[in-house]
Amino acid sequence: MQPIPEDKQEHCPGTESDQAGKQSACEGCPNQQICASGEANLPDPDLGNIKERLKDVKHKILVLSGKGGVGKSTFTSQLALALSDTEQEEEEIDVGLLDIDICGPSIPRIMGLHGSRVHNSSMGWEPVYVDQLAVMSIGFLLDDPADAIIWRGPKKNGIIKQFLKDVNWGELDYLVVDTPPGTSDEHISIVQYLKESSITGAVIVTTPQEISLLDVRKEINFCKKVNIPIIGVVENMSIFVCPNCKAESVIFPPTTGGAVKMCEDMDIPFLGSLPLDPRIARSCDTGKPFIVEYPDTPAAIAYRSVVDKVKQFCEDTTK
Amino acid sequence: MSDITVCPSKEEVGYARQCDGCPGQQYCQSSQSEHPGQSALDVRMKAIKRKILIVSGKGGVGKSTMSSQLAMGIAHFGSKVGVLDVDICGPSLPKLFNCEDYQIVSQEWGWIPAISNGVSVMSVAFMLPNRDSPVIWRGPRKTNIIIRFLKDTYWGKLDYLLIDTPPGTSDEHLSTISSLKNVKVDGAVIVTTPQELALDTIRREITFCQKMNVTILGIVENMSGYVCPCCDEISDIFSTGGAEELANEFDIPFLGKVPLDPSVVQLCDTGKTIWETENQYSDSIKNIIDNIEIEINKIQ
Repeated sequence: MQPIPEDKQEHCPGTESDQAGKQSACEGCPNQQICASGEANLPDPDLGNIKERLKDVKHKILVLSGKGGVGKSTFTSQLALALSDTEQEEEEIDVGLLDIDICGPSIPRIMGLHGSRVHNSSMGWEPVYVDQLAVMSIGFLLDDPADAIIWRGPKKNGIIKQFLKDVNWGELDYLVVDTPPGTSDEHISIVQYLKESSITGAVIVTTPQEISLLDVRKEINFCKKVNIPIIGVVENMSIFVCPNCKAESVIFPPTTGGAVKMCEDMDIPFLGSLPLDPRIARSCDTGKPFIVEYPDTPAAIAYRSVVDKVKQFCEDTTK
Repeated sequence: MSDITVCPSKEEVGYARQCDGCPGQQYCQSSQSEHPGQSALDVRMKAIKRKILIVSGKGGVGKSTMSSQLAMGIAHFGSKVGVLDVDICGPSLPKLFNCEDYQIVSQEWGWIPAISNGVSVMSVAFMLPNRDSPVIWRGPRKTNIIIRFLKDTYWGKLDYLLIDTPPGTSDEHLSTISSLKNVKVDGAVIVTTPQELALDTIRREITFCQKMNVTILGIVENMSGYVCPCCDEISDIFSTGGAEELANEFDIPFLGKVPLDPSVVQLCDTGKTIWETENQYSDSIKNIIDNIEIEINKIQ
């Protein structure tokens, strides 16, 4: 009977670490031999290629959660749309939206691009455009959008690298990245691949109840551990307004104080609350952007308020 | 023609056509030989009558809540049940069972699971130094701990083992199914919410189960309808009915609908059981448990 691993709280030192394969945390890991041989430690030439490809992208924003189903993809799409809204601006703003949720890509449907395909050009893979917004997702590479992507970590990492290195993003003011839930291959890889290109910051999405905050605190600690600046936390689905009687009710009770208390405890900015509006789910299903279809609703106004804070953070970093 | 959307399992791992050029090819080739603990794992699993995967593909649809409520219901009605949490990055079960402070004890017969509300529970959360520690592990390390959980946990003789999975169709899912290859997995229960955005992922999950030869016991539609506490108006916040249509489309059993009930959310946050009182929610869970048993019996 093998004892419980002593190293249980030790993280994978990373394949590029000089301790790769040699720490006690590595005992029993199927990758140990490869790491210890140093083969995984060779400098990755693609980091330079990625830096070159993204040199004209001013701000790179990750949208993270840790918890699934809190509305990361919904929020990411509305964020990208609002950032690219040039009604109030004098100049055009170019925005890219990258979906690195390989197993469960939601962005194509939300953006009304379900069934679209990627084209190759001499400059690389061309993103799919919605007005001026450049979008890339594995959903666009599938013959059948219902195909399951049953890939282990290394293969997912490979496609994420290609999305950064081979897509013709061009000049962008913002590249917004939608991630899957968790703190695993996709997240470790995106941070690793953008090491030389710099990440402006991360927006973290949660819902009010403790079962979500449990995972979100882990995500915040992940960001701190890998030195990603945290733009702030958004609390989604905070209240529900009945379309019949307009009464407000709380579906996901913040039994431990919700995102506001969590942000106070962890000393990170709270960006705002987004209410639950049944039209948001319907908009995502039909691919019509919510903040464009229903611009004067409380939810759309709340979205724009959060987006303004994200913009301000980005502007402050360029000063 | 090899299917590029699927990492191959079993004999072809690392050597199939679609493996060429994959960054993980070398690792997969080196892990070809059977895990040394496989026979010990098989012995543990054969002492358990029914092994059911709770899957979704989509995050946030209530897989873990469903796993915990089904398990507590099964225990409430007199059977022996365990739940294994293979969501390594976001382990929710200790919270749902109110046993977050449990630390695993290793004894002669194996790792002793936590016991709560009549259910044996095992999760990576029981190994973390504190609740907020992130688990930043790549696929191979997650695979390793899942094999350990199956092989080393002292489940004893159970009537049911429910395996709660994370969203996605990746390492955790492949490793769990691969580890259980010598023992019969009775099937998978797919949990979804009604809206089309979730159903996209569920279609992929159905494809996943078919490709992995896992029987689909049926689909559960969670968060189906919310009753406004003021005026009793039913709002379909996440739409409704989509899961039943999808089940018909794929000729899969529809196990039932579960409503969105804030009082249940509150109970879940504090790890309490819904079975102390009868209500619409507990009735819907009982209905699903009965339907799962019907489907398993049909297959046998």
